[in-house]
Amino acid sequence: MLILRDIRKSYRIGPTEVDVLKGVDLDIHKGELTSIMGPSGCGKSTLMNIIGLLDRPTSGRFQLDGADVSYSNDDALSEIRNRRIGFVFQQYFLLSRLSAIENVELPLIYRGDRQGFTRERSMELLRRVGMADRAGHRPSELSGGQQQRVAIARALVGAPSLILADEPTGALDTKVGGEIMELFHTLNREDGITIVIITHDPGIARQCGSVAVMNDGVIVK
Amino acid sequence: MILATNLKEAARSLLSSKQRTILALIGIVIGIGSVIAMVSVGKIVQEESLRQFKEMGTDILTIEKEFGDSSGQSGKKSKTAQIKLADVVAMPGACPGMADVAPLVRGNGQAAYNGKKLDQASLLGVTESFLAINKMTISQGRFLTDMDAQSRYCVVGSKVAKDLQRLGARQVIGEQIRAGDNIFTIIGVTAEVLESGMRRFQPNESIYLHLTTALRLSSESSNGITTITARVSAGTSNTTARDQVLAYFAAPARGQAVRVSSPEEIIAQMEKQMQMFTLLLGAIGSISLIVGGVGVMNVMLVSVTERRREIGIRRALGAKRGDIRGQFLIESVILSLLGGLFGILFGIGASRLIAHFAHWQFLLSGGAILLGVGVSNAVGIFFGYYPARQASLLDPIVALKSD
Ligand SMILES: Nc1ncnc2c1ncn2[C@@H]1O[C@H](COP(=O)(O)OP(=O)(O)OP(=O)(O)O)[C@@H](O)[C@H]1O
Ligand SMILES: [Mg+2]
Repeated sequence: MLILRDIRKSYRIGPTEVDVLKGVDLDIHKGELTSIMGPSGCGKSTLMNIIGLLDRPTSGRFQLDGADVSYSNDDALSEIRNRRIGFVFQQYFLLSRLSAIENVELPLIYRGDRQGFTRERSMELLRRVGMADRAGHRPSELSGGQQQRVAIARALVGAPSLILADEPTGALDTKVGGEIMELFHTLNREDGITIVIITHDPGIARQCGSVAVMNDGVIVK
Repeated sequence: MILATNLKEAARSLLSSKQRTILALIGIVIGIGSVIAMVSVGKIVQEESLRQFKEMGTDILTIEKEFGDSSGQSGKKSKTAQIKLADVVAMPGACPGMADVAPLVRGNGQAAYNGKKLDQASLLGVTESFLAINKMTISQGRFLTDMDAQSRYCVVGSKVAKDLQRLGARQVIGEQIRAGDNIFTIIGVTAEVLESGMRRFQPNESIYLHLTTALRLSSESSNGITTITARVSAGTSNTTARDQVLAYFAAPARGQAVRVSSPEEIIAQMEKQMQMFTLLLGAIGSISLIVGGVGVMNVMLVSVTERRREIGIRRALGAKRGDIRGQFLIESVILSLLGGLFGILFGIGASRLIAHFAHWQFLLSGGAILLGVGVSNAVGIFFGYYPARQASLLDPIVALKSD
């Protein structure tokens, strides 16, 4: 479902050009649970942002569900992010002024769904991640693990085919991190959602169906 | 759905930075307030002129003796010599454009009833024609006629009658008023009328004596007949009549300088007064609106900078540029509309005050309120567009990575 060919990304800082991705080739199949590992600074997040259509590569070809998205315009990319991709970030990235359920609703609102439906569907996902009793709470009233659960509900609410999680357990202790990973496994197994997880934890990587190891801007394994 | 959510979000965001919101609003409030006051004062004056026309008719001229001799020499009395009653009475005969005249003498001295001073009341010497020309009526008793020349009868205005009752007069008619050494018997009360530009006296707060009585009793320093209200004959234009009057008084036999004003002139004068307000308010209004608009823009720019992370998150979740732009635009429009709302209240208050001091009847103009809403809306869109666009053009990943 994901095919990356010779993806390069370089940043220009003053006079020097920094090559962060130096030709990444990667295939991710439908229904796979893939982890990406690698030392800090090797370009994992950069790659993830390109896969998530938040950032554009300097060069290279990129197919998502058989369609080349390298040349799509901004609105089309927003549409794909909205319908086909769900993000889970290390720092949760919930909007602090909104309640848990309002955060979960956001992707549906940008899709233009009716309010009754968005509420119902969001509640359903909060239930799924075990946060139904906290629907009206603000993020500041939730623990890190709880916030990450709400964020996962938000990533799932639009029924995406791909979930991208950048160190989703990075800010959590082993126990809570394990619970979050358990949730990902269940989603992958039961719903067949394709999931890509960036992690530093070899234990977590070992549980995943496939592991890609990155080093210095290329996939080495 | 997006609109409803955006409205809610905007309200929340504005509430979360109240101080900044209020400061940004001040300019808008003053700006919209001035615009509202400007429009509503204009409306008030328009209505006022119409009312004056209706009240007095357009065929009335006011002739006033010109004071303040330009030569400044006290010896040159000829120009400020008193207008003789005989000359006034002869006017309709001498000027074909004059149908009727009503001369007026202002008496000096304080009137008293039962030993108590009537502070508000002033003495006016008038003739029989006075009542009809000034479109006044009698509510009790009768008015003075020319048969009452030199008599000790008087007619009082409606407010004076009320004062007398307050001071213990049971029946106003027949009661006696003292002015100086003279005692006057009340024979009538005039009905209450509006004070207006064409009635250059307080119709309800006067004690009317016959002109001859007033002239005889007035002291040496009195100015004699100061004002003449005249009705123009049917078929004669006010300008023609005015020229006749000016020529009549300028003739060698009289040699008096007079000033003639018509309702048109009074209305023109009122409109000039209004133009001044309009200019002033228009200037204040447009400057404040610009200042207020820049304030709104500033608040919105700060808001965009502070919420870059939020913008990044929303973009990641699928918000299009237009969604982000709409969200911030709605916020700035709400901000301006809020200012507009207070501005409308402020403007209504201001025009009420202006009407009060200019002695105009206050009225609320729906058009002004609509204009206020429209203008504040426009300010919100105009000054909010740039920040909203900035927000929408933020690169998703840059926004997301910022703190
Ligand atoms: N906007 C940018 N401008 C310049 N350099 C950047 C920019 N973004 C990332 N980089 C550089 O790209 C490299 C890769 O960064 P990236 O965030 O992808 O690393 P990572 O593998 O996710 O590391 P970590 O495991 O610590 O999260 C780093 O050296 C970083 O300095
Ligand atoms: Mg990273």
